[in-house]
Amino acid sequence: MRPGRPLGFLIGLVLLAALGGALSSPPAARSQAADVLLNVLATGAKKLNIVIPHFTVVGGADPQGLGRSLSQVTARDLTFSSLFSVVSDVPPIAAGDPAALRAAFANFAAAGAHAGLQGVLTLRGDRAEIEMRLHDLTSPEFRLIGAKKIELPAAQTRRLAHKVADEVVLQFTGEAGVADTKVAYVTSGSGSKELGMMDYDGASAARVTSNNSINISPVWSPDTRSLAFTSYMRGYPYLYRMFPFENRPVQVLAGFLGINTSPAFSPDGRAVALTLSRDGNPEVYLLNLASGAFRRLTTYSGIDTEPSWSPTGREIAFVSERAGGAHIFVMDAEGANVRRLTQAGFNTQPRWSPKGDTIGFTSRQGNFDLWGIGPDGSNLRRLTAGPGNNEGASWAPNGRHLVFQSNRLAGGYQLFTMLADGTEQQPLTRAPGESTSASWSPRLP
Amino acid sequence: MAHRRGSALLVAPVLVLSLFLAGCPKRPATTAASAPPPTGAPAPSTAAPSTSGTPGPAMTPSPAAPGTGAPSATPPRPSEFRETDNLKDVFFDFDRYDIRASDARVLDTNAAWLKTNNSLVLIEGHCDERGTNEYNLALGERRAKATMNYLVGQGVQANRITIISYGKERPTCTEHSEACWAKNRRAHFLVKAR
Repeated sequence: MRPGRPLGFLIGLVLLAALGGALSSPPAARSQAADVLLNVLATGAKKLNIVIPHFTVVGGADPQGLGRSLSQVTARDLTFSSLFSVVSDVPPIAAGDPAALRAAFANFAAAGAHAGLQGVLTLRGDRAEIEMRLHDLTSPEFRLIGAKKIELPAAQTRRLAHKVADEVVLQFTGEAGVADTKVAYVTSGSGSKELGMMDYDGASAARVTSNNSINISPVWSPDTRSLAFTSYMRGYPYLYRMFPFENRPVQVLAGFLGINTSPAFSPDGRAVALTLSRDGNPEVYLLNLASGAFRRLTTYSGIDTEPSWSPTGREIAFVSERAGGAHIFVMDAEGANVRRLTQAGFNTQPRWSPKGDTIGFTSRQGNFDLWGIGPDGSNLRRLTAGPGNNEGASWAPNGRHLVFQSNRLAGGYQLFTMLADGTEQQPLTRAPGESTSASWSPRLP
Repeated sequence: MAHRRGSALLVAPVLVLSLFLAGCPKRPATTAASAPPPTGAPAPSTAAPSTSGTPGPAMTPSPAAPGTGAPSATPPRPSEFRETDNLKDVFFDFDRYDIRASDARVLDTNAAWLKTNNSLVLIEGHCDERGTNEYNLALGERRAKATMNYLVGQGVQANRITIISYGKERPTCTEHSEACWAKNRRAHFLVKAR
């Protein structure tokens, strides 16, 4: 919302179908103090109005204007969550001054704000700390319903804003938000396909490989410490693992003759499902990371590839042409009980939602578009209908958002995000070259 | 039967040659060796590109498991192969990897030339830009393999042939049209003297 229009958030409250799911979390998991505000959300099916003044800076100078810029990062995070209607760009509230806080929030409360967020930012050299204080503006005295201190190295100050946003979402839904996450992807801006990494909102983009070969298919390990990917850095397509936050060498995960592709970490992080053609044609295998042993899961004389784990780790979705054309199948994690999910079209890129209820995939019926289907084959639905091709979806860890690639704009493929029902599609990258093959990380520690 | 190139080198034990003759029945996985535990000491499991001149991943040789056969030699790097006018590309239909009748004649000519010398040959499998990187890598692999199998069927020794899939990563034609896509769905040949 724009500055100078503090009442504007009363207008344009949007019905939010997805909210029902978000609020159906077990009551025990959420802050009981937030019940009043939750009722606003649950009964009205509207966004919750929250006012976020600039964060108050104490304990050090703020030449970069972090109090203002970080509050805006949090505001954008909460807007992106689709759960909140946010008013920001409001002057900071003096720290430790209840009267000033009441005075600052009173007008917003009268105008319909449900919640107010105060952030107190302490900057001291190489560390930065924020104390977030969340107030219920529908209650007398603007009751404090949540408070938390978060500290990070000064170089990661932007993450403080993301963590505050995730804590606010936790207070109201029982599950943390997804702002403190990264997106790994493939960028061709340098002329070759290299891996890149950025904040989930597109900030802080940086290349993490620079070997001038072909690097594709990055996927995050569940602990967010490493990325598995296929690279031609040694000439042939081998599977590697790198540690983008650590000064640690790249490891070879699989270097067999043929292809070593399409990695997918098991939810417990102990195994990687992948595609090898060492036995003569592309089959899905399981690599035990502790022992280094490979176990073959599929047996078909044509293509089997693109494994994707169910969040329980008990099943794996994959692509096979065993039924003619490319279709999505599901098997158990030992390779047995194969069943077919899709019936029509040319279907690839199964991506199992972290909530387990949906397998997203890419279907070619003319152009390429994103679809969803239940693991039992029910609830087949289309998520995108152009423009251009829409492919390569990756789920946010809460299962509410997807990042995907589209060539809907001139200049080739870039990354976009949308809600799980296909609404609220918006661009994420506008980088030189093409940006593709996104992998949305789990929440950072 | 499987043809293995080279002797029992322990250079890159994780590499297992999968050069089968056309029509050979599938064999069980030859688990000659395994990847290093990724959580182990980083030094022995590095693949830093500058640290090794070996063609394959620089991995600590682990002992070949008894009874599983010796690890194979690594193939030459793709960059060691050279373009040649003597071997013509063959092309494929969308999402297919069977050799078309007209292309079989091209391959017959390629096979005849290969039998006049003993050079090594690298068969690249390529796809058009449509579809996913991962599926196209599998499809390119199948195209290269089908091409290799045809040549082997014409009497070219399997142990002279290495295949590599580039999926859709290396198109020769970059327009977004069927004419262009048809040029990209191909098997391409390079050679290396030995």
